[in-house]
Amino acid sequence: MIRREPLAGQHSHCRSALARCVRRALLPLLLAVFGGAAHSETLIIEGALDRDVFEPVLALFQRNNPDITLDYRDRSTLMADTFARTAKSAPDVVISSAMPWQMALSNEGFAQRVDTEETRQWPAWAKWREELFGFTFEPIVMAYRLDLAAAMKPPSTHQDLLDLLLNHREELQGKVVTYSPLNSGIGDMLSQQDARYTPKMWDLVAAMGQVGVHESARSKEMLEGLSSGKYWLAYNILGSYAMVWAQNHPEVVVQVPNDYSLVMMRTAFVHREAEHPQAAYRFVGFLLSQEGQSVMAGETPLFSVRPDVVGPYTAQRLRDEVGDHLYPIPLNASLLAFVDPLRRAAFLKRWQETITPEP
Amino acid sequence: MAQSLKRSLALWWCVIMFCLGGLLLIEAWASAKRSADQALDGQLEAASLAIAEAIQWPDGKPMLEMPASALQILATRWQERVFYQLIGAQGESITSNVQLPITSRMRTQIKKAPVFANIKLQGSSLRLHGREVSSAGWETQEPVEVWVAHTTEGREALAQTLVGGTLTRIAMTMLITGLILVFVMRAWLMPIRRLRQVLRGRKLDDYSALHVDVPSELRELTDTLDHLLERQDQHREALLRFIADASHQLRTPLAGLQNTSELALGSADPERWRQALETICQASGRTSRLAAQLLNLARLRHQVSQADLESINLSALVRESLMEWADRQQARGHDLGAELPETDIWLKGEAWSLHELIGNLIDNALRYTPEGTFITAGISRTADGITLWVEDNGPCTETDPQRWIAPFERAGLQGTEGSGLGLAIVASIAERHGAELRLSTCEPQGLRVCVQFPQGGADDQA
Repeated sequence: MIRREPLAGQHSHCRSALARCVRRALLPLLLAVFGGAAHSETLIIEGALDRDVFEPVLALFQRNNPDITLDYRDRSTLMADTFARTAKSAPDVVISSAMPWQMALSNEGFAQRVDTEETRQWPAWAKWREELFGFTFEPIVMAYRLDLAAAMKPPSTHQDLLDLLLNHREELQGKVVTYSPLNSGIGDMLSQQDARYTPKMWDLVAAMGQVGVHESARSKEMLEGLSSGKYWLAYNILGSYAMVWAQNHPEVVVQVPNDYSLVMMRTAFVHREAEHPQAAYRFVGFLLSQEGQSVMAGETPLFSVRPDVVGPYTAQRLRDEVGDHLYPIPLNASLLAFVDPLRRAAFLKRWQETITPEP
Repeated sequence: MAQSLKRSLALWWCVIMFCLGGLLLIEAWASAKRSADQALDGQLEAASLAIAEAIQWPDGKPMLEMPASALQILATRWQERVFYQLIGAQGESITSNVQLPITSRMRTQIKKAPVFANIKLQGSSLRLHGREVSSAGWETQEPVEVWVAHTTEGREALAQTLVGGTLTRIAMTMLITGLILVFVMRAWLMPIRRLRQVLRGRKLDDYSALHVDVPSELRELTDTLDHLLERQDQHREALLRFIADASHQLRTPLAGLQNTSELALGSADPERWRQALETICQASGRTSRLAAQLLNLARLRHQVSQADLESINLSALVRESLMEWADRQQARGHDLGAELPETDIWLKGEAWSLHELIGNLIDNALRYTPEGTFITAGISRTADGITLWVEDNGPCTETDPQRWIAPFERAGLQGTEGSGLGLAIVASIAERHGAELRLSTCEPQGLRVCVQFPQGGADDQA
């Protein structure tokens, strides 16, 4: 068609030369520029949050961001803290339920500011310095085995629990479990917070000591123990895990204390030395977004903080069900007191002294 | 380019406001920082006190349950990063969440009074505060240093808010004063505008005084304008009178010429024609001389410039003029003489006009005195300078000859032929040389005309 006119023929020559040029030089360049971005980026997350609980959220993020390869590392709270502080290559995002440790990391400058639409809209009580974001709202509960209900009146308040421990010492010997403040950041936070509210907490610790309480570092281990019959009663267990567990294990009953119930938030921050900051911002933004929170409210027991999210697990719904005796652990500088070495040492010393039964 | 009052005033206002505003801004910034520091140092103090309060000595060792509220106070509502360190008497760290860069100088200072300092930690600036706590224990009484620090974001934010407020106030003040200035400027310039309107609306021949209501500062200007107008009016009057006189003077000889020529035309006698032509010739000579003198007078009205002045031998000039006139018809019946000093007198002047001056004086003397009169021209040195004089011993009845200087005055001898411009021209020339013209009568009879040149005009170089 071009050959019909000689002039156009010359033209086509030029054009094909240009095309060759594009093919030879420009295309690889373009591929390098755009293909590089499209190429998968790894996002490293240190998470003190059970992967099987968190999986729906991660899966949705993965679906929305096929270009990001998720490297989720399931850790304990203290492990996550250690990795955030000392790992050779810093993780991109750190998620943990141990709020004081997370706060200390932020305070010491391990976190960086995140400025996205979602973080700006996030309620002030659930964030700190635009660095640390509390994205769940999880009640701390008691859980017991149905065997316990058959033998005695199950507890519904802290006072009930104390009475129960004092009155049924023999029956409950070795059958009670609680979070270890020594081996778990969350356990430490919960017991210190309890001790802040009332000195009677120490009576409870002493009573637990009398029944030979087990100290566990993981909620899952406690729940498995309840199901297997190893434990009858678990105190200060994460409500989010327990509620899901109870749905599939009818022998386990979850009790939100009726006098007061602590509420903790899982917090996430982008590490100062994140190697993939853009992916990290996207992930944090997603955690706080309506989409991410909806998944948490619908498919995980991680209660959503957002009031505009509807589902079985939302802060609003929890408030409606439990009433106004929810005591969220505030996300502010007072948390730093919990990780003060002297205070923590003194607390653990007292804990140890109190929980060891007198001969 | 002409200066605009408004523009320069506005410019100055801007400059002043800029400088003043700059100073105010610096001051505002400094004081805002001070206020912010004061406010937040208070929180540092409160936090350190709360921590100090919690220190106890249970087993002879300082023990502390870190108060959560102290940290919350320390964090402030700007969510600062907070740091603390407790140091024992031996310099050992009792508890801390960071190793604070505390210098030994600070540790000496703290013994006397609580310390405040700005420090750097991990690249961020911190405000540090320390106090020493000595509390009584049963076994030991060692003082403990409580050091607290937080980042300075809140201070900056607070200072910025305070400065923002001050800035707004400064800007508002400037805006308001600017507006006031515009109005004041308008009000001030109103009289000038009025004056301009009055001047613009004035008719060309209106020389009456201006009647404009102006403030006292402008009164001088309007007074000067009034004065100028008055002088211009006088000048114009003089000019009009001169023109009227001049045309009258020219009309008379022209009318005589017409008469003579008409009479001659009416006669067939060639002798009559000849007589008439002679009369016409004489009259036209006089008329052209009159015209020449009028022209001179007009020329003389222009100011002479210093560059046109040259050194002139006045003695020679007088001698020449006398010789010139002695040869003429008119001087035949008169006795012309000179009285000159032995040395020549030199003068800075305009040669043509001085020549004209001497000529006019001699001409006048010849014209207004009867035959047989002695006419003497001379120069004498006086204490005041040089006097050029011409004197005659003819009859003179006028007691105040000074008034003859005005144009067209003819010593009461209006019938005498002459233009009446001679002395006026002399006066003009004298004025051009800064000389004074004086007319006086002589004893027993006669007139003496003196031209007194000032000292500076003399030129003794020759």
